[in-house]
Formats: sequence, C-alpha cells, structure tokens
Amino acid sequence: MADSETPLVVRDLHKSFKDVSVLNGVSLEAHEGDVITLIGASGSGKSTFLRCMNLLEVPDAGELIVHGEHVAFKQNKKTREPASWKQVERIRSRLAMVFQGFNLWAHMSLIGNVIEAPVHVLGVPKKQARERGMALLERVGLADRADYFPAQLSGGQQQRGAIARALAVDPEVMLFDEPTSALDPELVGDVLAVMRELADEGRTMVVVTHEMDFARDVSSQVIYLHEGRVEETGAPAEVLSRPDSPRLRQFLAPRF
Amino acid sequence: MLDFQGYGPRLLEGAWLTAELALASLAAALVIGLVVASAKSSRSLVAKSVATFYTTIIRGVPDLVMMMLLFYGGQIGINMATDALNAHLGTDWFINVNAFAAGVVTLGVIYGAYMSETFRGAFLAVDAGQMEAARAYGMSGWLAFRRIRFPLMMRHALPGINNNWLVLLKSTALVSIIGLSDMVYVADQATKATHQPFLFMVPVGLGYLAITAVSELVVLGLKRRFDTGFSQAT
Repeated sequence: MADSETPLVVRDLHKSFKDVSVLNGVSLEAHEGDVITLIGASGSGKSTFLRCMNLLEVPDAGELIVHGEHVAFKQNKKTREPASWKQVERIRSRLAMVFQGFNLWAHMSLIGNVIEAPVHVLGVPKKQARERGMALLERVGLADRADYFPAQLSGGQQQRGAIARALAVDPEVMLFDEPTSALDPELVGDVLAVMRELADEGRTMVVVTHEMDFARDVSSQVIYLHEGRVEETGAPAEVLSRPDSPRLRQFLAPRF
Repeated sequence: MLDFQGYGPRLLEGAWLTAELALASLAAALVIGLVVASAKSSRSLVAKSVATFYTTIIRGVPDLVMMMLLFYGGQIGINMATDALNAHLGTDWFINVNAFAAGVVTLGVIYGAYMSETFRGAFLAVDAGQMEAARAYGMSGWLAFRRIRFPLMMRHALPGINNNWLVLLKSTALVSIIGLSDMVYVADQATKATHQPFLFMVPVGLGYLAITAVSELVVLGLKRRFDTGFSQAT
C-alpha cells in the first residue's frame, strides 16, 4: 500500500485535450525499486499519462503524490492548474525525464547538460556537480565525449547522455518517454543496456515503451493502456504471456 | 591638416552624443522588443492585442512623425499632469522633457516594435523540446529563459537585431529636429555658417561608418558565442 515513503502515487487521472478525452481515470503506484512499463497503441494515452506525472501536462482531475507530498491544484473557470508552481518545480526536480527526442540542450556541451540542473536548480557547487557528472558520463560510456556538443553525437550517445543528465539530479523516479523510439535499430541496444543496469541497481522507473523484450525482462509491472484506461496490468510474465484482454492479445499478436 | 574652422570639438561631441543615444536607444529597444515578443506569444488575449496594436501603429507611422508626437505631445501631456497636480496641491511644479531622454524613449519605442518581430520569429525557431526539458528539470520561468530560451533564440535573432540596429543608428540623425546636438546637427550648422558641406558632411558619414565597423566586430563575436553547439556539427 502507498504510504509517505512511496516515491510516486497517481490516482484516478483524467485528461482531455479540447473535446477529446485522453485519460479516463488511470492510476499507478511506483514503490522503491519498481520498474513499471506502460504499453499500448499510439493514442492510448501512455505518453500523456507519463507527462502528467511531472506536470508537463496538467491533469483535469486526479491525485498526484510524490514521496508523500500531494500536488495542490486550483480550479479556474474551465481549467485546472497547479496551486503553486514553486511546488511543481520542486517536484519536477525530483522526477527526471528522458525524452523520445533526447532534448539535450543544444548550446551546452554534454557535461554542461549534465550539471545544468544540479547547479542551477538544486544549487550544488559547480566543482562537485562536475565531478559527479563526469562519473555519470563514465557510467553511460561517454566520459571521452564530455566536451562534445549534442549535435556532434549520435542519437544513441545523446540518449545515454540524457540518461546521465537525469541521473545527475538523483531522482526519486525516472520517467522514460519512449526512449528508444527515435533511434536507429543498431543504437537501441546500448540505451536499453544502460536502462537495464539502472533497473538492476534498484532505480525506480516508469517507462513508456514499445520494446516488449525490455518490458518482459526488466519490469516489475506492466500496464497496458487502451483508450485512456488501464485495460490490463500485472507482472510481465502474466500480462505479456497470458493476456486476458482480447485487445492486449491483438496488440501483442504481430510479435509472435 | 583639415581646418574645421573651430567646429572640430563640437563635431566630436556630436559624434559622442550620437553613439550614446544610439546605444541607449538600442538597450531600450531590446528590452521593449523582448517584453512585447513575450506578450505576443503569451496566452493572454489582452497582452496579445495590446502588443499587436503597438507594433501595428509604430510600424505604420514614420519615425519623424512619431518623434515629434512623442516629444511635443509628451511635453503637453506632462504639462497637463503637473498643472492638474499643481491645482490640487497648490504647488508650482514644472517638468521639462529632456531632449536626450525623449530621443531614447522615441527610438526605443519605435525600434522596440521592430525588435519584437525579430524576437518573436526567433522564439518560434527554437525547438519546443528544449524548453520542455528545462521545465521537466524544475527550472522556473526566469531561469529557463535565461539559461535555455534566450541563448538558443539569440542565434536566430542576431541577424535581425543587427539590421534593426543599423537602421536605428542612422535614425538618430532625426533627433536634431528636437534640438539635440548630435553630429548631423553640428555639421548642418557648420555647413550653413561656412558653406562647405563636404568639409563637414563627409566626416559625419565616416563617423557613422566607424560606429558600424565597430559594431560589426561586436556582432561577429556575439555570433560566435551564440553559434556554440551548432557550428561544430559533425
């Protein structure tokens, strides 16, 4: 059960864009060390769900609790917005996101990207942030690329750099938004290998992905979304091998 | 040695005034431009309408007309305000509009409109993912602007800013009509007194060229600064 130590709790989230409802009451509980994968067809709401978790999208209804801290919302005439952007910024700095398109800051070197949030958001001394940043780049195999700019790196290198940037804020939960979807097939393996390592060392992760092998081997829980609802969820061995829902069976079918 | 017939020192002072006025106006125009560009890309309908109204008016009216309107109109407006205050408080205040300040305000207001369009285009040219990453890592609005949006946007804005700046620099010559002794004003007076237009106008032209030459160097340096990370692509 969720308590104040649970890194991330999401309850009954709803979200519409204009008249199109994308999320119709989805929930999730990420405990320490959980790796939760969100799967589903495009348009199922899985990316929106993830983006609601760090409030890149503001949910229309539902609860968001990060390490026991409830995100406060205020209701305007038509829209809902966070009551305190200060709180949102604090919470975001504890949930690091890795994007499909990497989104490394183009005008900063790789090490500059890695130390940016620690130095300017968290107030870590620059020298200390740099040392830690270099160690993280070492981890993802990019120590020799620290002074390169994103445009000088391959997609796979950029994504591993983006993972180092995420690790640099020592996040409670790492959010991955289709981290390998924009990569050439031969570069996917390196990124997944880094993610497997993170899972093995007990990082709490929520991963939107189409990589079914990753979901099967690494995750502690799989959530299958369909039309903004949790259609089926459970341990990967159950959900991916013996799906109850006909829709999930169909979703998985082309892979067999 | 050229004999400037005693106008030499005043001509230099005029050149200095031109440079000061141009730089102060540039600063004003950049600030106004950024604010108006932000207003135009904001979600608030009011901010958007006010900003659009401002740029439409300014860009449609000649600089000279605008300057006279703001200088004389501004003085009348201030007189009316002080008169009203004086009547209430029994005081005897009078504020004289300073011609230099009026010049800076006018040029700033005019070129702020052009700058805002330059900035707006530059904002749109920045990949949305860059700001999204800034937000996702907990940056406040101001921090994200300072660290991410501004440096990325400047790469796109710089050519437009440079263009506007060169036009602004030459528009400073208009301030002579509101009584400021910039270098054109001094040269004009000297020409009228001595009937030697070339003696005075050629140095004035060279003076403007000197300022633009220096500014080209500055722009080159800035371009290098804001191209960091882009020019080195593999």
